[in-house]
Amino acid sequence: MKYVKPTINRVDFNLASKYGSPLKTQRIKNDIDGVNVKELTETFGSPLFVFSQRQIEEKYNEFKEAFSSRYPEVEFWWSYKTNYLDAICKVFHNLGSKAEVVSEFEYQKARHLGIEGKDIIFNGPYKPKEALKVAVEEGAKIHIDHWYEINDLEEIAEELGREIPVTIRCNMDTGVYPAWSRFGFNIDNGEAYDAVKRIFEGKKLILTGLHSHIGTFMLSTEAYKNETIKLIKLKNKIEEDFGFNIEYIDVGGGFASKNRLKGIYQPPEVIVPTPDEYAEAITNAIYEYNKGKLPKLYLETGRALIDEAGYLLTTVFASKRLPDGKKSYIVDAGVNLLYTAFWYNFEIFLDKRYEGLNEPSQINGPLCMNIDIINENIMLPPLDRGTVMTIWPVGAYNVTQWMQFIRYRPAVVLIDKDSNPHLIREKEDLSDIIRREKLPDYLK
Amino acid sequence: MLINEMIIDENGVAFIPSLGISFQINETAKEIIELLKEGKTKEEIVKILSEKYERDWREVYIDVEDFFIKLKVYGLIQ
Ligand SMILES: Cc1ncc(COP(=O)(O)O)c(C=O)c1O
Repeated sequence: MKYVKPTINRVDFNLASKYGSPLKTQRIKNDIDGVNVKELTETFGSPLFVFSQRQIEEKYNEFKEAFSSRYPEVEFWWSYKTNYLDAICKVFHNLGSKAEVVSEFEYQKARHLGIEGKDIIFNGPYKPKEALKVAVEEGAKIHIDHWYEINDLEEIAEELGREIPVTIRCNMDTGVYPAWSRFGFNIDNGEAYDAVKRIFEGKKLILTGLHSHIGTFMLSTEAYKNETIKLIKLKNKIEEDFGFNIEYIDVGGGFASKNRLKGIYQPPEVIVPTPDEYAEAITNAIYEYNKGKLPKLYLETGRALIDEAGYLLTTVFASKRLPDGKKSYIVDAGVNLLYTAFWYNFEIFLDKRYEGLNEPSQINGPLCMNIDIINENIMLPPLDRGTVMTIWPVGAYNVTQWMQFIRYRPAVVLIDKDSNPHLIREKEDLSDIIRREKLPDYLK
Repeated sequence: MLINEMIIDENGVAFIPSLGISFQINETAKEIIELLKEGKTKEEIVKILSEKYERDWREVYIDVEDFFIKLKVYGLIQ
């Protein structure tokens, strides 16, 4: 006879509604693009980040199609901060994406991947002059964030003895809160117009673009419509007043992925706009308000293109029964690897069907810290040691914001379109961590 | 102990008449509860189950221990 772990649960309809449908539903995923999750952890170790090239390409093509079918010249600029693993950037570059960076480090990473300066947008509030100068010399697109940067660029123009093409970043009220008003120049109060005027009067910089990035995980297409209208109206006005030729408008990133925000109970399928809906809002606004030649349309989409293509596999190491009766599973991946755990409720899949009744459980990482909670309220059947869970979607912002803390960071694998897994980042060991440390002689 | 008054039907629904509350239990839970009603100790239950199912007693011990904590949380045993 087969042994099944004993389970007992109070029949409680309030509990059922709080935890979702009760007893027997189990979410199961035993492979990613045809590669068995258990085999992946056996080959590459656990925990393990896994990316699907197939899904990256599908998503990219979906967005590309949504915009290109509506607008003549659209370019995607891969937002490095979302995920700057070489292999991931390379997949995007091979698909035709250029690079959007916000630091000298990201700039260097793009250059190291062979991306030419002209194919890099340099954004951000902090561009040290040295880094800025290199980017200017190499022909990168500089998106100015503040007044001091105008001064810095004029000095660089002087040093190089030539004019520099530039773009300004703008911010504005788009009807969603909080408004990202800390980056760039405000359109609503006239600051952006004044910045253009100042650039015009300085005679060393030539304005060629307008940029904004209104926030991240934006669920409102209306916000993009408002953003685009304001950018286009500004474009019309400054072309007329100063004779600048605005070649492109860059509406930034911020499209939502199919992740579940904490505190929002409708499923992502219901609330996340489709690529077509975003594209419709943005391109219609351009057609409706643009005067003169149509500008190119740039997008810096990050999250929406990569989040759903990323998985974190983690293995159950132990379990315990908490004094309040809840089951706690200790797994080998902690919140230090899952920066986005603080605002997402991830989907959690099991590697196979488990016998027994679902019961209120929580999933805890390996850190000896009370905050290491991956899921606080989840109905799970009794799981064995060694069960592999798949946490999803985790492709955006985690493998950049993960933190080496208490344990080494794990390996990352990319599954190609023929279902072959490739190691794209090795797991760390002690040498990675002590390489930069120095022990003063007197302590030896 | 309240567990002694537990009535279990064929669908694995267990009822405690004096509290008027129900539980969903599985086969193994049912076996353990029957053994408890016979007055068996935790150690005896672990031995019986591990021999019957040919499992490492140390693993069965963890499961039975876990199950006992839940019975305590529900106030079914002391
Ligand atoms: C300037 C800029 N562009 C693009 C992005 C990418 O945003 P998302 O990942 O929400 O698409 C960001 C993210 O903060 C950003 O600051």
